[in-house]
Amino acid sequence: MRLWLAHTKVELLALLRQPGFMIPTMVFPSMFFLMFAAPNLPTAVAANFSTASFMAFAVFTVTFFQFGVGIANERENPWSSYVRTLPAHPIYRNAAKVATAAVLALLAALVLVLASQQSTPMNLPLERWPRIFVALAAGGMMMGMLGTALAYLVSPKAALPLANLIYLPLAFMGGMWMPPELLPKVVQKVSPLLPSRQWMELVWPAVLGQAWEASHWLAVAAFTLVFALLAAWAQRRDPHVR
Amino acid sequence: MKIAETREVHKRLGRVEALRGVDMDVREGELLALLGPNGAGKTTLVSLLVGLRAPDRGEVRLNGRDPRDPAARRVLGVTPQGTGYPPSLRVREVVELVRAHYPDPLATRDVLERFGLGELAQRNVHALSGGQARRLAVALAFTGRPRLAVLDEPTTGLDVESRRELWREIERFKQGGGTVLLTTHYLEEAEALADRVVVIHKGRTLSEGTPESIKRRVGLRRVRLRAGALPELPGVERYEHEAERHTLWTTDADALVRQLVRHGVDFSDLEVLPVSLEEAFLALLDEEVTA
Repeated sequence: MRLWLAHTKVELLALLRQPGFMIPTMVFPSMFFLMFAAPNLPTAVAANFSTASFMAFAVFTVTFFQFGVGIANERENPWSSYVRTLPAHPIYRNAAKVATAAVLALLAALVLVLASQQSTPMNLPLERWPRIFVALAAGGMMMGMLGTALAYLVSPKAALPLANLIYLPLAFMGGMWMPPELLPKVVQKVSPLLPSRQWMELVWPAVLGQAWEASHWLAVAAFTLVFALLAAWAQRRDPHVR
Repeated sequence: MKIAETREVHKRLGRVEALRGVDMDVREGELLALLGPNGAGKTTLVSLLVGLRAPDRGEVRLNGRDPRDPAARRVLGVTPQGTGYPPSLRVREVVELVRAHYPDPLATRDVLERFGLGELAQRNVHALSGGQARRLAVALAFTGRPRLAVLDEPTTGLDVESRRELWREIERFKQGGGTVLLTTHYLEEAEALADRVVVIHKGRTLSEGTPESIKRRVGLRRVRLRAGALPELPGVERYEHEAERHTLWTTDADALVRQLVRHGVDFSDLEVLPVSLEEAFLALLDEEVTA
């Protein structure tokens, strides 16, 4: 516990003191929302739907980049080698990273809700929030794993451009920016195969107050597992760690 | 009593065979210097001992356990490499992070004051000068009151005065019963601090002994002079000449010069120059090949 707190403190301090990374990461999804989604949301239902979708986008942004690019940068950093010589199981550091990403993701989602409240007729009953939260957390975990896998699979320099290359299409084709019916025909066919879309299939029922379908939970769990295994495999063959 | 050891350790890094069968013991209470030119395999060997890497073959033990087991590393304090500190942390915060890992660490204030960092507690680690950053690195190795401190080139790039200050702190740690494994490519550092020296070169243990005995082997001087023909001289490890300019490598320059005088050699422009370890190793290897 003490170790987890110590590492979390360090991670959070590093983030807070680098507002140049933190602020854009948190503000970007909301800005996107205000420019492209908010003007076309006449009803509360549409606004609720879109707000939750963009919250998922915000969580995606934070977790995917925090883990993907963050870990990639650490791979060659002598300091992270040093920290691995300290007498602590790596689980404390990883847990600290998860906690930090969770805080950041929560803040990014909060910024989005505030932006939506100011600009749309969003009106989400309080009792729907716990399920939205659960759905967002599950997807955040999945994308964090995808980011980790990416970080170890490619060279540290390639991580950022590749992350962008994966992240924007996943968000778009998964239906984070517009309802799936409005996506181009080809994309509609591919969309259900994507982890981002499966995630949205958890977020949307939570927003609309409908029941979850087990198949989407299974799909998200399976994607998370695959990404975790990929990350573990890639980490094991990383020459900086071995 | 051994606190750390390696047995027949092999490690390949990419295409390079960094270690090719290294045996080494670190005994409790001693200061062991691991000496070798750049690229000899010192850093790789250390990375195995501190649990960063696993050997391809052979065995590594720290306090009787595999150093990759975090519990084994409770006896261990390590210097971070270079100046790679985390971004945007202050000196005090870095010390506190390290303290959190040990059951009975030194007080933050003691750590900072001992290493002349008291005034810099609130300074961002990236704003430290090279010397200050090295001092912090050594301070971090001692922060957890380890039984074994592993100092990887602790004084590289420091001026003479800062180097001596660090040496004093290392001595003090040893006086308190601590064991030190020090890597260096300065022979004089090994000489000033070490009880025992292990020389590695090209991934192998080349020799092992007291600093004096190692110095006799690798502590060469280069004697340059201008003269006609030279007589047969004892104690010359290597010899080159170009017309009247002679260069001789020897471990005892004084004796060599006395010999020159005794033989009545009419020399001029005499110079006695220190020899880098790299050069000394070359001479040493030549000698082994010809022997």
